[in-house]
This record gives sequence, C-alpha cells and structure tokens, in this order.
Amino acid sequence: MKNRHHNKVITTDKVFRWVALACTVFVLGILVVLIVDILSNGLRRINWSFFTNLPSRHAEKAGIVTALAGMVSLLFFTILIALPIGILAGIYLQEYGTRNRFARFIEVNIANLAGVPSVIYGILGLTLFVRTARMGNSLLAGALTLALLILPIIIVSTREAIRAVPHSLREASYGMGATKWQTTRRVVVPSAMGGILTGIILALSRAVGETAPLLVIGALVYVPFIPEGPNDQFTTLPIQVFNWISRPQAAFVVNAAAGIIILLLITFLLNAIAITIRNRWYKKMRY
Amino acid sequence: MPYKLQTKDANLWYGDKQALKNITIGIEPNTVTAFIGPSGCGKSTLLRCFNRMNDLIENARIKGAFLLDEEDIYHDIEVYELRKRIGMVFQRPNPFPKSIFENVAYGLRINGIKDKNKLEEKVVWSLQHAALWDEVKDLLNKPALSLSGGQQQRLCIARALAVEPTVLLMDEPASALDPISTSKIEDLIYELKKNFTIVIVTHNMQQAGRVSDKTAFFYLGELVEFDKTQKLFTNPEQERTQNYITGRFG
Repeated sequence: MKNRHHNKVITTDKVFRWVALACTVFVLGILVVLIVDILSNGLRRINWSFFTNLPSRHAEKAGIVTALAGMVSLLFFTILIALPIGILAGIYLQEYGTRNRFARFIEVNIANLAGVPSVIYGILGLTLFVRTARMGNSLLAGALTLALLILPIIIVSTREAIRAVPHSLREASYGMGATKWQTTRRVVVPSAMGGILTGIILALSRAVGETAPLLVIGALVYVPFIPEGPNDQFTTLPIQVFNWISRPQAAFVVNAAAGIIILLLITFLLNAIAITIRNRWYKKMRY
Repeated sequence: MPYKLQTKDANLWYGDKQALKNITIGIEPNTVTAFIGPSGCGKSTLLRCFNRMNDLIENARIKGAFLLDEEDIYHDIEVYELRKRIGMVFQRPNPFPKSIFENVAYGLRINGIKDKNKLEEKVVWSLQHAALWDEVKDLLNKPALSLSGGQQQRLCIARALAVEPTVLLMDEPASALDPISTSKIEDLIYELKKNFTIVIVTHNMQQAGRVSDKTAFFYLGELVEFDKTQKLFTNPEQERTQNYITGRFG
C-alpha cells in the first residue's frame, strides 16, 4: 500500500517536471520564432542611412531619425516630470505616511493605476492636456500623458526599494540625533537608490514601447522634422512602426521589421541596465 | 556625586502591557553599569528610554522622570540634542552602506560640519578611541561592509563617539560576535570608561562580571536588585537574583 503511494508520488513528480519544462520551451520557442522572423525580415534594411533619413513615401529612402529624436525628447520630458513626483510620493507614502485605512486605500489604488490599460491614459491626456490645457498634440502633452502612465510604476518601485532598507540603519541614524529628513536623505534614499533606479529604468522601458496613448492624444504618424521644443509635434518609433505596418507595400513591412529590431534593442538594453543595477544593489543591501 | 543618568518611578507601557514598573535607579559618571535579566524583563526597554528610541514605537507610553545630568530627558532636552549627548550601539553591527570614513563622519555631517580637516581629525580620533584605527587607517575609503563583524561593531562605536556623547548605551553589543571580537569589545569598554559613562545590556553574565562596576538585575519589568557587580554576583540580597545568577531560571 505504502509502496504504491510512493510510486504514485514519484510519477507525479516526474510528470510535473516534464510539463513545466514543456511550458518553458513553448514560451521560449515563440520568442525565438518571433525574433528570427523579425531579424530575417528587417536586418538587411538596417544601415546607417536608416538611422539618419527622414520619413519618406519611398520605402527604401525612409528612415527613423524623426522617430528616434521624438522618442528621446519625449522620454526626456517624461522623466523630468515623473521622476521627482514619483520618488517624492514614494518616499512620503513609505516613510512619512501613517498606517491607517486611508493610507491602505491610496496604496491599493496606486497599484491599480499601474494596471490600467494605457489607452485610458491616452484618453485622459487628450481631455486634460490636449484639449483643456490647450497644449495640442505637442511633445509636452505626450510627455505629461506618459508621465501619468509611469508614475504608479515609479511610486510602487520606490516604496519597495525604501521598504527593503533595514530598520537598523534608520535606528543608527536616529540614534545619533539625526532628524527624519536627514535620515531619509542621507541614509534611506541612498541605500534604496539601486532599487529606485531599477524601477525608473523599467518604467522608461515601458514608456518606450507605448503606442496607444500617444495615438489617442494625436501624435503624428508622419513627421518630416525633428522636434525642437516641448510645443512641437512629434512621432516616436512605435508609432513609426505602426504607420509602416499599415502600408500596403511589402517594402514598408521590411522597414517596420527593421524598426522593431531597433525598438527591441533599446528595450533589451534598458532592461539589461536595470538588471545590472538591481543585482549590484542586492549585493550591497545584503546584511 | 550627582548621578549621570537617573530615573524616578519610571513606568512604560506597550499598549496595555506594562514593560517597566516603578524603576528608580541612579548611574554614576564614568562607570560601567550592566543590565541583566531574562528576555522580556525590560532591560533593553529601559536602556532605550534614556535616548528616547522608544519614541519610534507607536503605542509606547511612559510615566515618571528620566534625567540626564539632572535635566529631564523628555521635557528639558530636545530629542536630537539628547541623542547627541547619549550615543547608542546596537545588538547587530549596523554600519551604513558607505565608506568607513563616511560612517564615522556621519554624525558630524548631520551637525553641519563640512570642513575637511575638522572631519578628518574627528574621524581619526574616534577610530583611535574605538581601537580600530590601526586596522583601518589604510582602508578609510573602503566600504564599511567589507569589514568583519567585530570590526563593524567597533566602527559603530567609533561612529557613536564622533559626536562626543558623554554617555554610551550598548544593547548587547557583543552578542552577534565571536569570542575574540567579544573580548576586544570588552577591553574597549574598559578603556572608554575613562571618558564616558557606559550602560550595557547583556545576556552574558560572565561578560557583566568582567566589564561592569555595578549591575542591575531586572525581572518582569521590575528592578530587583542594583549593587556593585562583585557584591551582586557573590552575595545577592534577593533570592530571585540568586536564582537567576546561579542559572536556576531565565
């Protein structure tokens, strides 16, 4: 009796192992197929002029310079807006906020905000910034919209990073007569910096890929100039790719694939930086 | 001689639970006083009353007088000022994830000292008084966490000394350390007595016997007996003290 049960447990163990392995292989397989497909389509299109050319009606002449420039300036303004607000809100909620029902209510809702579909942020941005504040479909309106989108991510990751700082460090600081602000600024935040940075970069890599909210607020699909200020119109790489894919000519699909390769590279790079910083930080925070 | 630290009818509650019951004790300057007793007897709680670390605990409530140099700790002295006058060393070494130099300089920096020579002078002085200087004088810019546990604890002592307190509270400072590091800390305590008044909480009765001039035995939030260490360990007045030090409970 006991023996039969034993055999059954062992079999279950083996079966589970193989099922789990199959699932992993399946997911990885899809990723590999996707990447191979994109590479075989788009790699031949990537050359120097692809980066430096303006968009064009002729697929072979079209480049991504305006999309790249638009994306970089968009991210710049997004970070400028979201970073201070997000970090300060995170610090407040974790270090200063009292633990009561209202605080928990806010906490849950910030976590919910992080899960709201991005197109809804687009609609919010359209109403708030483009129409009510009369910013038009400008870089600033886009940056504000993306800032709203990534704020919850920055707030949540800042809180988590700050929570990971051992209480003993705060005690050490208070024990020497430091005020709460001195402790926060000189001990808690520097100790949490690795985690905060990781969150910021992950938020950025989310912002890089966003298409829907920008389309809603009216980012242009065809921009033959590089934006020069926050009030200029703009396009970004995902929107450029979106535009190319919707063209009937096959040559534009090749352009789209090439654009996707660049987009993937940027995302991978950002994620790699985030992981490196996080690993270093974890090592440092090991007590 | 006036007491350095003193309590009169000190009581403390965590919520409904009374952790300190009518404690009256006086600690003389430039002595080492050991607080002993079983876990939960209130010895750490009392220690933390002296530099108001219990303020950080939300539901803690106190009654009675706590005095430093005959000034009321909870009413006459600002809490930040108080903690500069009464330094603290914790159970587990807790250096900041900064360089050795910056760890010791921390207390000076939060006091607004920026002058590099002055910082350096104080850092060296503190490390020397914490008996760590010879081991780290060439490593000042290395991360504090690269030191061994015992070195880290002496670094924490140096860090506390840098703001020149007159009292040093030590909450089981050697309980996380190996015997060699422990004996270094004990030697250090003996040296520090010349300049500081030291109160040490310890679970280790041999340690209390080795380092302290006077010992206080706490049980269930009460101060059972307070006397010269030698007297308390060889000829205690109270039966409960006798039972504890002979290992019959606790």
